[in-house]
Amino acid sequence: MIMTIIRAALNNRSVSRLLTGGIFLFSILMASGAFAEQRSGNVYGLPPCVTTTGLQIDSIIKIIFWLTGAVFILTQGTYIYYLIAYRRRPGVPAHYSHGNNTLEIIWTTAPTIVFLALAIYSNRVWEQIHRPAPDNALTIDVSSYQFGWQFRYPGVSGKLAPMDVRKITPENPFGTDAENPKTSQDVITTDFVIPVGRPVHVLLHARDVIHSFYIPEFRLYQDCVPGRTIGWVWFQAIQTGDFQLACNQLCGTGHYNMKAPIKVVSEEEFQKWLTPRQQKNAGTVVPAAAAVSSPTKAVSLTAPSSTNTL
Amino acid sequence: MSASITHDTHLAVDHGAGNHENHGHGKPGIMHYLWNTDHKMIAMQFLTSACFFLLFGGAMALAMRWQLAFPGHSIPVIGHLLPHGIVNDEGAIIPSGYNVLVTMHGTILVFWVVMPLLIGVFGNFLIPLKIGAGDMAFPALNELSYWLFAVSGVIVLSAFWVPGGAPGTGWTAYAPLSSVAAYNQTPIGQSLWCIAIFVNGLSSLTGAVNYITTVITMRAPGMTMFRMPLPVWAIFLTAILLILAIPVLSAAAAMIVFDLNFGTTFFRPSGYGQPLLWQHLFWFFGHPEVYILILPAMGLTSEILAVFSRKPVFGYKAMVWAMIAIGLLGFIVWGHHMYVSGMNLTLSAAFSVSTMVIAVPSAIKTFNWMGTIWRGSIHYTVPMAFAVAFVSMFVIGGLSGIFMASTPVDLFVHHTYFIVAHFHYVLFGGSMFAAFAAVYFWFPKMSGRMFNNTLGWIHFWMTFVFFNLTFFPMHNLGLGGMMRRIADPTVYDCLKQLQPLNVVCTIGAMGLGLATIPFVINMIWSMRSGPKAPANPWNSTTLEWTVSHPIPHGNFTVTPTVYHGPYEYSIPGLVKDYLPQNEKAPSHVTLEAH
Repeated sequence: MIMTIIRAALNNRSVSRLLTGGIFLFSILMASGAFAEQRSGNVYGLPPCVTTTGLQIDSIIKIIFWLTGAVFILTQGTYIYYLIAYRRRPGVPAHYSHGNNTLEIIWTTAPTIVFLALAIYSNRVWEQIHRPAPDNALTIDVSSYQFGWQFRYPGVSGKLAPMDVRKITPENPFGTDAENPKTSQDVITTDFVIPVGRPVHVLLHARDVIHSFYIPEFRLYQDCVPGRTIGWVWFQAIQTGDFQLACNQLCGTGHYNMKAPIKVVSEEEFQKWLTPRQQKNAGTVVPAAAAVSSPTKAVSLTAPSSTNTL
Repeated sequence: MSASITHDTHLAVDHGAGNHENHGHGKPGIMHYLWNTDHKMIAMQFLTSACFFLLFGGAMALAMRWQLAFPGHSIPVIGHLLPHGIVNDEGAIIPSGYNVLVTMHGTILVFWVVMPLLIGVFGNFLIPLKIGAGDMAFPALNELSYWLFAVSGVIVLSAFWVPGGAPGTGWTAYAPLSSVAAYNQTPIGQSLWCIAIFVNGLSSLTGAVNYITTVITMRAPGMTMFRMPLPVWAIFLTAILLILAIPVLSAAAAMIVFDLNFGTTFFRPSGYGQPLLWQHLFWFFGHPEVYILILPAMGLTSEILAVFSRKPVFGYKAMVWAMIAIGLLGFIVWGHHMYVSGMNLTLSAAFSVSTMVIAVPSAIKTFNWMGTIWRGSIHYTVPMAFAVAFVSMFVIGGLSGIFMASTPVDLFVHHTYFIVAHFHYVLFGGSMFAAFAAVYFWFPKMSGRMFNNTLGWIHFWMTFVFFNLTFFPMHNLGLGGMMRRIADPTVYDCLKQLQPLNVVCTIGAMGLGLATIPFVINMIWSMRSGPKAPANPWNSTTLEWTVSHPIPHGNFTVTPTVYHGPYEYSIPGLVKDYLPQNEKAPSHVTLEAH
């Protein structure tokens, strides 16, 4: 039946010309996405994917891409065919019809099944992505503010000093307890350095307004909400490299430039980076407040004047 | 039902006649255009204002596109003329100015362009004419609705000239950025924004009660609910959504004003407030709002497709029930804006199910539109071209929505240019295309004159081509990881390679800006000197085409009686290919049930 339609269409010159145009247009539209999964480093592709959960997300993107692509071609193809085939012609009246209930039932039921299946499948992956972080995960406290990031790594004890979001103030940006000996051991940085192959569990905090923890290569977006600890985000990098952490929630004047360098390194390099910093904090017994305030002094809580120029 | 109709018709006739006497037609002074309770004049007031805001909001979009393609470069020619809160001394956009553009473009296009265009203009113009009523149920309230709208427009624009300038917190105004002066540094502008939204909400509410009352009580004899034209159904359902959704936004906006000015801490955690409360309130309004913006467009398009296909709307009742389903489901999907906001994860999963389900009625409508043109006798006119393009663009916007409805995919594409592409396909390719289609379609009835076809076709092709050139590459930008609402994508290493696409989008946007020129010229010129339009230029069946221009105040000299459904085209055995609603079918003809 489809062949009959095509043959009938091709017999008509203007129809065939328009059909060719339509097919050409589809090819361009589809081509932009068809290679989406392989391409990187050019304007068409997804960025490289460097986490395990990212791979799961990419596979769903692929499924939805081919599904919607097929629906797109079928509906738009049929639609364009109708627009050409049923244009006004002398002596050919329109068909008088108010509809067809069987068709209505079919095209109500079919999408319902497809969409529900997609919802169920998506939510299973969603649950897997958000299962509790494994025990061997490295826990890092991520603190966002207008307009920058700070990261708090565990000290020599291997455990982060406990914090309380209600204690977050400009003087105590991490909300830690100065009395606790672990507080002074915490390693505080402005670079986000993580080991490849090991689960990393981030505790997301915001000191002022809502920010978001967005890394396209990790396929990860999560808002950091003031007054809350978002504790369900963890990921495992599968390759090393340099990336950038971006704030992706409009947070004020300097929002566009609120970024931090990310380094995914081997476990060995990671230890080489972290251990001296841990030892430095453990060796010198500095008052907790001073230890915390030293890195924060570098960054003012108001917009740096440089953000006003591009 | 029939009892109530008889009663209400009496009201309609009475009312129409009464106003006709009182209103001076002989002296159309300036007051005639400023305070006029005639629903047709109010529609024109909304149309003029919405077009002004369209040009203003569109110009802001062009400034944004310039900045994204050529970050930090002075805007040519007009850069120096822009206010200093937006540009620097060289005439290049500064980051805070970019945030203001993002905020005001979104706010103005949603509240001061698409809503008044679809609901204010066509709700006012079409409801009484299509149901055979003399005017709205409450004509003075109707004019009040326009003036509340106009005042709210003045308030929102005044934010540009207050100390601190206009807000830069996005049209979503997420708290606590919007609710704490120290964080946004524009407390006065933000307060004015909230007040403008509040007053605009009052305008929507007064309009909505009027539409609902008019549709329920003032239908002509024989005009049962299921004989109402689809635009009336669509705007009636939209009005119900407005009444349920708008008060939530108004309350939330008032809470921000209190937080900013009177020391409350609704959204501030240090005062035991909850930032996510704002998002729940905003999106509880915001998602029905999405359907408020698209339902009227769907209704208008359905009718235009039927008229120019010379066919009844395929599955009229399915269309109505699909719109009712969209209206109901629209209230339980707001959480899909908040999958990654810090909301409970299981709640996100639940919202993703309702979101997938709401795609079904939209799919039903698409299939029925295709059914409507199937085996039709399609007559290509400018309004038909826009209506045809609407369906196509709506399908693209709908399909890209499936990506974000899937919770894990949203984890990646949330707040990227993918979502910007998605909602512009629905709001511009959808709502605005339908608005253009409707403006051309009813132009002969509104002005009594025909528009210029050549200019109309130029407008269509430029809009269609440049729209896709602007917004299709944004899918790629989004999948490439480009964040929305950033003033300069080149500060990120991974986005630098996407810059050529940003230039393409900007070229498209410039073309889209130019496309409005033939439209504006066409409207202004044809309004004054276009050829006189016949009463029913499209051979259409609904009641508004039974009255000739100029339509008197009160619309119908004799209240029409309706004999059948709205879209009786190409009935076999009838000489003319349409049967108006107020004409009885000849005895030898049988109408198919719809």
